[in-house]
Amino acid sequence: MSKTKKPSIRDYLYEPPGPRTRTWIRVGTALALGLIAALVYAVIHQFAVTGQLKAKYWSFFSRWTTWRFIGQGLLTTVEVALTAAAITFAAGFLLMRGRLSRHAILWRLSAGLISFTRGVPTLLFIYFFFLVVPRTGVKLSAFWKIALPVAISACGVVAEAFRGGVNAVPRGQREAALSLGMTERRAFYRILFPQAFRYIIPTLIAELVIVLKDTTFAYIVSCADLMQNARVLISNYDALVSTYLVVAVIYILINYGLNRLSENLAGRESRRKTA
Amino acid sequence: MSEHPVIELRHVEKHFGELHVLKDINLSVARGEVVVVIGPSGSGKSTLCRTINRLETIDSGEIRIDGERIPREGKNLARLRSQIGMVFQSFNLFPHRTVLDNVTIAPVDVLRIPKKQAREEALRLLERVGVGDQARKVPAQLSGGQQQRAAIARALAMHPKAMLFDEPTSALDPEMIGEVLNVMTELAREGMTMLVVTHEMNFARRVASRVIFMENGSILEEGSPESFFTHPQTQRAQAFLQSIQDH
Repeated sequence: MSKTKKPSIRDYLYEPPGPRTRTWIRVGTALALGLIAALVYAVIHQFAVTGQLKAKYWSFFSRWTTWRFIGQGLLTTVEVALTAAAITFAAGFLLMRGRLSRHAILWRLSAGLISFTRGVPTLLFIYFFFLVVPRTGVKLSAFWKIALPVAISACGVVAEAFRGGVNAVPRGQREAALSLGMTERRAFYRILFPQAFRYIIPTLIAELVIVLKDTTFAYIVSCADLMQNARVLISNYDALVSTYLVVAVIYILINYGLNRLSENLAGRESRRKTA
Repeated sequence: MSEHPVIELRHVEKHFGELHVLKDINLSVARGEVVVVIGPSGSGKSTLCRTINRLETIDSGEIRIDGERIPREGKNLARLRSQIGMVFQSFNLFPHRTVLDNVTIAPVDVLRIPKKQAREEALRLLERVGVGDQARKVPAQLSGGQQQRAAIARALAMHPKAMLFDEPTSALDPEMIGEVLNVMTELAREGMTMLVVTHEMNFARRVASRVIFMENGSILEEGSPESFFTHPQTQRAQAFLQSIQDH
C-alpha cells in the first residue's frame, strides 16, 4: 500500500487531470466557494434583518438545562434508532433467508412482505401503530410506537441488500463448500454470508442513517426524542430558527460520523483483500 | 475393501432446456484408476464431471459412489460429497479465510476432526503440494498455480475416495500449468482414484489409465492412452486430435 493518500475509486476510473484541467478546476472551485460565501452571507444578513440573531433567540442555549433537555432527547433518539436498527437487521435477515429459500410458499411470502414494506411510506406504518393498533387493545409505549414502524419500514430494503450481497458472492464458492461435504445451511453461514456481509456493510450503515432520520417522526406519537424536545424548546422560547439550526447540526454530525465509519470499514476490507 | 467401482454412472441423461447435454452416459472408475476425459468444448465433459457429486442434477439414470446411490438432497448427499474431492477450474478458494483455514475448515466442520490435528495435517498437505510457506496468507496473495495447489490440498484433507478435476489448469498462466500437473501426477502415482477433465494431452498420455473421448454429450470412444492417441477409432476423435495438433 502506498504510504501517502490511499487511492479512491476515482483514481481508478479517471486519469489524473492535466495542467489545463487543473486550471479549470481551480477557477471552478474559486467560483463555487465565492457563491457559497455569498449565499451564507445572504442568509445571515436576512436573519439579522428579520431579527433572528437577537439574543433572546439564542441566550437559552447558554443554560445547561437546555442542553440537558437536548441531551435527553438525543439519548432517546439514539435508543429508538438502535432498537429499530437491531429489529430491522434481524427481520431483514430472516426475510432474505425466506426469499432465497427453495420452498415456494416461503419465498413468495417473503417476496410479498419485502415489496410491501418497501412500497409503504414510513409515516403510514407510524399511523398504523399510533391509531390502529391501540384500537385492537394492544397497549404500546411511545417508544415502541416509533421503533416498530421505523424498523418495519426499513426491513424490506435491508433484506434486499442482504440478498444482493449473497448473490454477489461467486457461484463457485457455494459449489466448493458443497463439494467439501458442507450442507447448504453450513455453506451459507460459514462461506457465503461472511463474504456477503463485507459487501453490504456500507449499505447497512446507509440504512442506519435512514432509520435515524425516520425516528424524527417520533413527535407524532409523542415520544420525547431529539426532534420532539426541540419542538418543546421552540414553543417555550418562541425560537424556531435557532433551535432547528442547532438540532440540524446535531443530526448532521451523527450521520457524518456514521458515513465516515462506513468508509473506514469499506476501506479496511478492500485493503485486507488486496494486501 | 469393496469390489464396487468407486464411481459408476448408468444411463445418465441430462438436458439444459432444449439442449441434450448428456446422452446415455455409462462409465465406471475402478479404485486407483485415472480416467481422463477429453473432447471439444461444449461436449458435456465438464457437466459429466459435475454430475458425479451432484453439483449438476441429472434427468434420469443413476450415479453410485462406492456402490451407494447418490441421493437428491440431504445429509446423505453431503456425506457422499465429502468422500469425493473436487478441484475447480477457478480454484474457488474461500477468499475470506487464510490458506490454512481453507484446508482445515471442512475437516473440522464436517468430519469433526479436532482443530489441532486438522491444522497439523493441513500443514503437511500444504507442504506436500509445495505451498507450506503460504499457509498464513489469504488466497489473493498467492499465484494462480499456488492457489490451485492449495485447492488440491483442501480437497485431500477430506481423505476422499476419489478426486474430480474439472479443467484444473485452464485458468492458469502457461508457466504455472506444470506445477499443478506435477502435483496431480504425483497423486496418481500414489494410487488416488481420479477423473480428470482436461485439454492437457501430454498429461493424458503419460498419466491416464484410460482416456474417454466425448462429443455432443456422448462418450464416443474409450481406451488406453496409447491406443487412443495412436489409433483413434472414430472420425470425430481423429478430427479432434488433428485439430489440437495443428496449432
